[in-house]
Amino acid sequence: MIIDSYHHRMAAHCESGTIASLLGHAGLEITEPLVFGIAGGIFFGYFHKMKSFAFPTFILRNKPGQIRTNLEKRSGIKFRTYCFKTEESGVKKLDELLDKNIPVACQVDFFYMDYVPSWERVHINVHFMSVIGKKESTYIISDCYFPETVELDAGSLLKGRFAGGTMSPKGFLFHTDQIPVSIDFEKAILKGIKKTCFNMLNIPIPFLGVKGIRMFARKVMDWPKFARDIEHLSHEIMKINILLEDQGTGGAGFRFMYATFLQQASDMTQNQELKRMSEKMMEIGDGWREISLFSARIGKNRDLGPDRLKQLSEMIYEQAEVEERFFQELRKSIL
Amino acid sequence: MKEKDGYVDCPEQQLILYVEKSNGEYGPIQTGSFITANFLDDYYLKRDHLVASLKEKVERNEISPIHYYLILEDLTIPELAARVKLCRWTVRKHLNPKYFAKINDRELTRYAVVFNVSIHDLRSMISPKNEDRKI
Repeated sequence: MIIDSYHHRMAAHCESGTIASLLGHAGLEITEPLVFGIAGGIFFGYFHKMKSFAFPTFILRNKPGQIRTNLEKRSGIKFRTYCFKTEESGVKKLDELLDKNIPVACQVDFFYMDYVPSWERVHINVHFMSVIGKKESTYIISDCYFPETVELDAGSLLKGRFAGGTMSPKGFLFHTDQIPVSIDFEKAILKGIKKTCFNMLNIPIPFLGVKGIRMFARKVMDWPKFARDIEHLSHEIMKINILLEDQGTGGAGFRFMYATFLQQASDMTQNQELKRMSEKMMEIGDGWREISLFSARIGKNRDLGPDRLKQLSEMIYEQAEVEERFFQELRKSIL
Repeated sequence: MKEKDGYVDCPEQQLILYVEKSNGEYGPIQTGSFITANFLDDYYLKRDHLVASLKEKVERNEISPIHYYLILEDLTIPELAARVKLCRWTVRKHLNPKYFAKINDRELTRYAVVFNVSIHDLRSMISPKNEDRKI
């Protein structure tokens, strides 16, 4: 049984892409950058020591799940969500919803998604994809990281849905429930931008927002202390490229997608200032792209002496300065 | 980023990149992963070295196979303990070959599920990540 009317489409980011696809199926055509921007998805956080990460790392988006909740809050769209105590009840509910022809989004651990090439698979509990059908012992998955729909063994899906650890999914499912007749997109866009500016500039925590980028620049110099050997350090430095470019960001750590959002927002709100800001955001994205290419190059060459790390640190500092000015200007542009 | 700079030939890993198109509009294009296209051989080289050094340590009885997978899968002790639903001190003990020898099948199964391997593979340290190697 497959929901034929579901139109699979690729997207840059799993959560916003899945939501955009579900809304498209329910009759609301909305682009992925618009979902991402309204939900205030762009963010920065640096984690130097955390019990769930084996090495210092950073994030470039808000907390997983907040894209859905923020979109609900700002647009009036309602999603129906489910969490489960037992695996049996989780499987039963998913099958029930598929029997009713409802495409369902699932939160899973990326590691168990057998259709993903092995070098990409890591333990991360916050991957989202849609389940759109079932064939005996496999489910039909619409994963927006893939050009086509794929089949996944029921056992692997179950392992992914009920993986333990940080942010464990607990079988989490959601689907569209109610879409308002008319949505005030202008208001939603402005709220999204306002909250994004607050998150990047004003959260009084030293490792979040622009302060987090500065901390990242400062602390990257200490990374050799945490590495087992030069190859481990090289792997972690090259992961900067993966986090910025490959892990569902749309390029440059979501900055290119946010620039696209600002351009679309400018057309929808008739605010020419936002168009100018979108061009600036694209340039900021180019700066992050340079950092990611630089990291990949020095990692591959094992050229990881203090001078190179200092150079990397300076490039990141520069991004912090540019982003601080950008978000201050963006806040003024919507007043 | 201009559209022409965004294309990468990498059929193994496709992704969406937002770029500036020729008409000045920003939008998505389907392209390949830059790092997979250019640096996958380097990833496997480093992984092979890591696997060899860890296997040597297991053979010398310095670490247990659970410790081997813990490092290979980039997990931490608290994270692994939360995934296998055991106390972190118990997990810490299982990293030691002396205590790993005494581990019961029920606990070993939990580890095997987290590492996505069979109990036999867990004992003999066969990683599923080498199965679909392209290079």
